[in-house]
Amino acid sequence: MTSSSYARHEHHEFQAASAEALADANLQLALAHLGDTLGQRNRAAFAALAGADELRQRARAIKDAALANLDEHLKTLESSVERRGGHVHYAGDAADARQIVLDILRSRGAKRVVKSKSMTSEEIHLNAALAAEQIEAVETDFGEYIIQVAGHRPSHLVAPAIHLRTPQVAEVLSGDAGEPLPADAEQLAAYARRRLRAEFARADAGITGANFLVAETGTVVLVSNEGNIRLTTALPRIHIAIVGIEKVIPRLADMPVFLKVLARAATGQKLSIYTSFVTGPRRASELDGPEEFHLVLLDNGRSRILAGPLRESLFCIRCGACLNACPIFRNVGGHAYGGVYAGPIGAVLTPLYDGLAANEHLPHASSLCGACQAACPVKIAIPEMLIQLREQLHHEPGKLGFAEAAAYRLWSITMRHPTLYRIGTWLATRLSRFLVRSAKGDRPRWLRRLPGGLHGWTASRDFPAPAHQRFRDTWSENRIHSNHP
Amino acid sequence: MNRGAFLARVREAAQAGRAFRVTQPEELAARLAAPAADSEDLPSRLAAEIDAVGGHARLAVEWNEARELLAELLDCYEPSSALCWQHPALDALGLHGLLTERNVRPINYDSLHALDAAEQRRQMLTAEIGISGVTAAVAESGTLALASSPGQERLASLAPPVHVAVVAAEQIVSDLFDLFPGVEHGGHRAAISPGDSPARLNPADLPSNWVLITGPSKTGDLELKLTTGVHGPGKWHVIIVRAPLA
Repeated sequence: MTSSSYARHEHHEFQAASAEALADANLQLALAHLGDTLGQRNRAAFAALAGADELRQRARAIKDAALANLDEHLKTLESSVERRGGHVHYAGDAADARQIVLDILRSRGAKRVVKSKSMTSEEIHLNAALAAEQIEAVETDFGEYIIQVAGHRPSHLVAPAIHLRTPQVAEVLSGDAGEPLPADAEQLAAYARRRLRAEFARADAGITGANFLVAETGTVVLVSNEGNIRLTTALPRIHIAIVGIEKVIPRLADMPVFLKVLARAATGQKLSIYTSFVTGPRRASELDGPEEFHLVLLDNGRSRILAGPLRESLFCIRCGACLNACPIFRNVGGHAYGGVYAGPIGAVLTPLYDGLAANEHLPHASSLCGACQAACPVKIAIPEMLIQLREQLHHEPGKLGFAEAAAYRLWSITMRHPTLYRIGTWLATRLSRFLVRSAKGDRPRWLRRLPGGLHGWTASRDFPAPAHQRFRDTWSENRIHSNHP
Repeated sequence: MNRGAFLARVREAAQAGRAFRVTQPEELAARLAAPAADSEDLPSRLAAEIDAVGGHARLAVEWNEARELLAELLDCYEPSSALCWQHPALDALGLHGLLTERNVRPINYDSLHALDAAEQRRQMLTAEIGISGVTAAVAESGTLALASSPGQERLASLAPPVHVAVVAAEQIVSDLFDLFPGVEHGGHRAAISPGDSPARLNPADLPSNWVLITGPSKTGDLELKLTTGVHGPGKWHVIIVRAPLA
């Protein structure tokens, strides 16, 4: 088990954390199959879906239009929820949201809470706030339960314990059980079922996030494979859903478009095992379901993003496809990114929510290969957004060292003056010839080590060697030698 | 933050953000292309898809045959109690008689509603098998749709380790789109007449809980290997009956 604190605490140390992740043999084994399992299933599922691109484009258009009138949809949503006997609360930031949830629980004497996987509740650090008030909160998604016991943060949007291998999980859960459990997936899952069923049965309140909110009906749409979300919304007498405002979809008729692309993108399934449409508390005479329903709408920076050029990041439906597709994520895992959201979309969202200067490495944690955008069910232009963030970074005060700033200035001057540019390329060919002489053979195509202060660049990759002849010289020679009549 | 300030902030942001829209509003008006035409037999397709997602589907021509299939399952699992929906499909197959013959205690709305809440919950949570009808089924994905109501409890398809659902052929639609009202796609809806099918959701009067079930409960949380039966039923049996319900 890694002793690293990166798995436990949010941080701004992408470089140190990813170096540690690359050296962690267990983590590397755990991540090894992400691309040829979830990544491959995503591609196969979209390939088999007729009109897939049209559906993804439609999902994107629905999100875009919904955000353009988000305030109106929120008002519709509010009246729909209230019409069905639910309550709507508005949380401007994380502190508001924690306070609202605590107030609901305290005023109803709720002492035990079951939770189903919710990135929103991670974002507002709800578990710590509940613990401080002596309210016991138990995560019920199997992966979330494992990492709650281990004290870790989730490392993947849909597979939060992806960073742990089965023997490590057995060790974690054996401590919880007070007896040794075998390193066998079936038996560990059976333990979790027994252990958590008891928690469901005695919980006062169930706390969920939501995949979508349907404005016209006041419906919370929740997707899971395990059934824990269904139990969370069936057994406790209070249901609280904490949801970011960007999850609002205007009409019920929009839902099949999203459902058809969400599970395919996440796991390659046509639909996840359970898709629940929860509309208000139980109705009169029903024997199960919550007696009270509360919807906590969370802004926490979303309206700031909504007003700006990176608004498209709010289209994200949290499927995790970009993580599975990303060559960086598949090597460093989720904890290296430091924030609540990891992977390519995390590299966009964390700087937006948490500040660009503090997360300066994240926009650079990408080769801009475009695999994330290709995998995204709503076709978010993640590479373009990362480039925009990189550009913004250069306007952040103090984010550029003296040497780097001078180098860029020199580059800029050279590119604007043809004579300087010619001298520069001529110097590069001299360097190439010098390299040929010192290599005593063929011209090297790659430089293993750059000289002086630049050697850091070649510490983990090679630098392409300059050509031995400038393009302009080759061009001139060919014009002379060619036999045009 | 109070409601007014919250919504005012969102309104301002939504307006400013329109400068950064990435799609055309007209895109929403275009009809989506039809899902592949469903000349195939819907009950067979549903059964094949249910098997593909890890369930066990059986096709019956008549209700008598369906009764035999359910009897086989009861003899296989030998439950002492069954949490049951009250549903025309279960009546058509004579569920009550089947259970009585085998000394399986039925737990349903009629037996539960007079009990206190704690006892209701205890009985529902300790049932060894759940038996339900469905509100609709989707052939393309192997999906059952179940709406909650008194007599059609959500726990029947959730709490016991085994769930058996009975589907009548007339409840099957071809595609997920067919369950939703007013979806602008060009597909023809073979299985249900537009507008008046009980299968189609009515936005003005949704049940408190409406769930789409597509397989037995699973998790991939351990090294991405699928493990069944974590929280919901690990065994999922669906009996599909070609004969009409009434």
